[in-house]
Amino acid sequence: MIKNYLKTAWRNLAQNKTTSIISVAGLAVGICCFLLLTTYLINELRYDRFHDKADRIVRIAFSHKSADDPEAKTTSVTPTAPVPVFKQELSEIEDGVRIYDYSGNRPAAIQYGDKLLSEKKMLLADDSFFKIFGFKFLAGDRATALASPLSVVITQSTAKRYFGNENPLGKVLKVNQTRSLMVSGVVEDVPEYSQIKFNMVGNYAMLDRSKTREWSSSNDYSYLLLKPGASVPSAQAKMNSYLNKLFKDQTGGGKSWFTLEPLTKVHLYSTAGGGLEPAGNIKYIYILGIVSVILLLLACVNFLNLVTAKSAERAKEIGVRKVMGAQRGQLFFQFITEAGIITFVSLVTGLLLATICFPAFSNFSGQVLSFSTWNTSWLIYALVSLFIIVTLLAGTYPSLYLSAFKPIVTLKGNTGGQAGGNTLRKSLVVFQFVVSVFFIICTLIAGGQLKYIQNLNTGMSRQQVMVLEIGGMPYSSMEPFKNDLMQQPGVQGATATYDSPVNVRGGYSINSADGKASDFELSVIAMPVEKSFIKTMGIHLVQGNDLDLGDEQRVLTPKSEERNYSFILNETAIRAMGWKPKDAIGKHIGLNGRMGTIKAIAKDFNFTSLHDKISPIVMFPEYDWFGKLLVKTNGKNTANTIAAVQTKWHKYYPNTPIEFHFLDQEFEAMYKTEQRTGSILKAFTVVTIFISCLGLFGLAVFSTRQRVKEIGIRKVLGANVMSIVTLISADFLKLVVIAVIISSPLAWYAMGKWLQDFAYRIEINWWVFAVAGGTAILIAFITVSYQSIKAALSNPVKSLRSE
Amino acid sequence: MLSLQHISKFYQVGGNKNFVINDISLEVEEGEFISIMGPSGSGKSTLLNIIGMLDEPSTGFHYFVDQPVHQLKEKQRAALYKQYIGFVFQAYHLIDELTVYENIETPLIYQDVKGSERKAMVADMLDRFNIVGKKDLFPAQLSGGQQQLVGIARALIAKPKVLLADEPTGNLNSKQGEEIMELFRKLNKEDGVTIIQVTHSEKNAEYGSRIINLLDGRVESSKKL
Ligand SMILES: Nc1ncnc2c1ncn2[C@@H]1O[C@H](COP(=O)(O)OP(=O)(O)O)[C@@H](O)[C@H]1O
Ligand SMILES: [Mg+2]
Repeated sequence: MIKNYLKTAWRNLAQNKTTSIISVAGLAVGICCFLLLTTYLINELRYDRFHDKADRIVRIAFSHKSADDPEAKTTSVTPTAPVPVFKQELSEIEDGVRIYDYSGNRPAAIQYGDKLLSEKKMLLADDSFFKIFGFKFLAGDRATALASPLSVVITQSTAKRYFGNENPLGKVLKVNQTRSLMVSGVVEDVPEYSQIKFNMVGNYAMLDRSKTREWSSSNDYSYLLLKPGASVPSAQAKMNSYLNKLFKDQTGGGKSWFTLEPLTKVHLYSTAGGGLEPAGNIKYIYILGIVSVILLLLACVNFLNLVTAKSAERAKEIGVRKVMGAQRGQLFFQFITEAGIITFVSLVTGLLLATICFPAFSNFSGQVLSFSTWNTSWLIYALVSLFIIVTLLAGTYPSLYLSAFKPIVTLKGNTGGQAGGNTLRKSLVVFQFVVSVFFIICTLIAGGQLKYIQNLNTGMSRQQVMVLEIGGMPYSSMEPFKNDLMQQPGVQGATATYDSPVNVRGGYSINSADGKASDFELSVIAMPVEKSFIKTMGIHLVQGNDLDLGDEQRVLTPKSEERNYSFILNETAIRAMGWKPKDAIGKHIGLNGRMGTIKAIAKDFNFTSLHDKISPIVMFPEYDWFGKLLVKTNGKNTANTIAAVQTKWHKYYPNTPIEFHFLDQEFEAMYKTEQRTGSILKAFTVVTIFISCLGLFGLAVFSTRQRVKEIGIRKVLGANVMSIVTLISADFLKLVVIAVIISSPLAWYAMGKWLQDFAYRIEINWWVFAVAGGTAILIAFITVSYQSIKAALSNPVKSLRSE
Repeated sequence: MLSLQHISKFYQVGGNKNFVINDISLEVEEGEFISIMGPSGSGKSTLLNIIGMLDEPSTGFHYFVDQPVHQLKEKQRAALYKQYIGFVFQAYHLIDELTVYENIETPLIYQDVKGSERKAMVADMLDRFNIVGKKDLFPAQLSGGQQQLVGIARALIAKPKVLLADEPTGNLNSKQGEEIMELFRKLNKEDGVTIIQVTHSEKNAEYGSRIINLLDGRVESSKKL
């Protein structure tokens, strides 16, 4: 019986090549996209789950709110105290580790023999690191690998980079020319789906602060390993009550607290600022999940549509089989078998397609993805269920529908009434185009917003600015280099800052000010800059004067209490202080102990992600520690300028590799998640349109075939080609127009929501809908017109004779 | 064998009942060979379909091998049909995607006959109709007469007690028609198959043992030969 079904099914498919190919193509593309997207999702969802103790590890997030702050600030870094203190105090905690991103500010210079490499991923961690995290050891002993303060554990590919095929154990690496670290272990390369990524891990004890138990100044990522069965909320509550007790005598009304984030939730759910790597976003996971299901549905819809459309042609066969004694169940099974064959062929094709697409998709999504992302047995389950689900989705309705035909009616050759399903088919086409148009609109709006962000005047000239990593280099050794740079053609200016000006993070507070109570405290972002910063970055001053040599000299004495600071505040900061701009100049304020006067007011400019509104910022000259040197170039002949900067660098710092990037690249990188989702969306918009058009094409084939006789008669009666093309196309275009009408408000609503995540955003323009609708209609027209023109051009005598 | 009592079939057209079969009563004995005649539109096909349980009458009583068909459920009717009836169509109605062999085999598949048995039965049938050489061809590759032979072979494969044929020779030339009529006669005489056929041909009608003339859904005349 099955054999017979398979045979008929196969012949049926082979005979109806056009529809079979359309069905398979649509389904295969749908399945391919579904597999790609689910692989991406799995990769996101498996983040950090590979540690054998993953379910017991938590990260400490640290929140602080001063009395005068509108809202609390939460960071993913903590001071040095929590880990050792809570490990001692709380029974819930088995172990803990502090991790410092040693190469975070600037890459470490690592020397081995005559090899000098710049290491961007070097961490320092307490020796418990490998006891808590399950990174796999290939050489060395997990328990003792970090026991010595001068040991370092490296990854497999790092070992290869430095030592080739030699045994890495016992080799000595020189770090930043000061310390010699001995390789004590080699671990497997850290997977992409780990929030803690490193090439090498040294011992936290290398840092001077490692012995301290400070509760202020947050620099370290802190992770705790809870005892089996310990409750996270109770541990968190105990930590906070400990903290409250400790600081109960503190005045000022400020408040700090810890939040424990389960390791496996950090990547997708954490809202704490500045993690070890840019956070993912569970929202995008949902969006992509929905997109993948919709794509699959669209492909199933195609199939379903084509089969029901074909029903007129199969009516006779069904009738005959029923007269031969076939029961409804048997016929149902036959048609499901056909759906199964199509699905199977599509599934195999989709798998192959996905295999081919993985490298490109990985590129595109910024993740290393392949079928090995899956657990093998899962993949098999997934494919089997996919087979069953798609077969049932695509096959059930047509099978029920076809097998219900009354034989006597079909055998009379009168299929009109039964072979309809017209309303359903039309609704499905509308559904497909609703989705397509929705995607087109989303892509247009998302693209517009991203472009808007790139071109937005953020109040600072970030174009053509090279950012050199100087990570704490003394000002005295930097100044001659800087002055030399300024002489280079193409260099317009150079200025050192603490932080990158597109992403300033330093949390300070203004805790004294003229006319304010003694316990006044306002949290602000602040940044030490060189006196030339404002000028070089093109920041506009609305009141007061730029910093000058005098301001520089007043802060150069080593003793900070003898310094007299000149502050520049932005307009928002002045407003937050409750002052008028013209009255603010000359007021005295204190910024975490730095005393001085307000010298100028800067027009508001964006110094963090455009997701956030501009907040108060204070800039002040301070020459103790600079992280970046900003080199403003004139944008002409950039390659030459870069080469010149590199040459100078090597001349001044022969033992330190140069590290630089451009400021606008850094700016754009802050919207990587959006950009990535945007490009994924763009790709899948194309796919959706493709699938929908396949469906439309298939239906057009049928409807013209069914109307051959009508077309013939019309032509005999004198209709011209144009009028026939219009006649046939109009039917379909009507559906697309309906789809546009349904889709537009949905997309408008969804994208409105999305845009709300940006403090700076575009307005949704009506032309977006017009363009999207127009595109859909045009594409649909092209798809249908091929068929309708063909029909219109056919010889009417032929079609009439065959009736 | 079967009995129709006061059978009517009508379609509602506007407010009127449009009778296609109007109060027909008919007794058919086992082993009879009946020819139904009448002008186009007189209700011949409808009557045959009702006899074959493919169509339902609007009113009346229908007994088949002593079972009250009008009271049976769809499933039971199908079972009865499967067990007793073979149907031959004017338009052959072969399945285009199946070969001659497979077309003939289809009813057996639906009756859950075992594979080996099926093989033997189909081979036998092919032999009997002299179409062994054609068994792997598709319907489109056959002439009309050959297609009708396959249609009849398919109707007979499950050894029905009753053969219903709606203008089986309508699309054939007279020589082909004659061959098929000879075959029917042989089936009727040698195997005792009850046959009811619809035909337009006076000559073919005379192969039967009784001729029934229909006009406007009524039995106009009936004569035994
Ligand atoms: N679905 C229907 N609705 C209305 N009238 C019908 C329908 N089916 C058949 N008829 C009518 O029934 C009559 C008898 O049809 P039929 O039994 O096929 O006649 P015959 O086979 O004798 O030519 C015809 O006049 C036809 O118009
Ligand atoms: Mg008829």
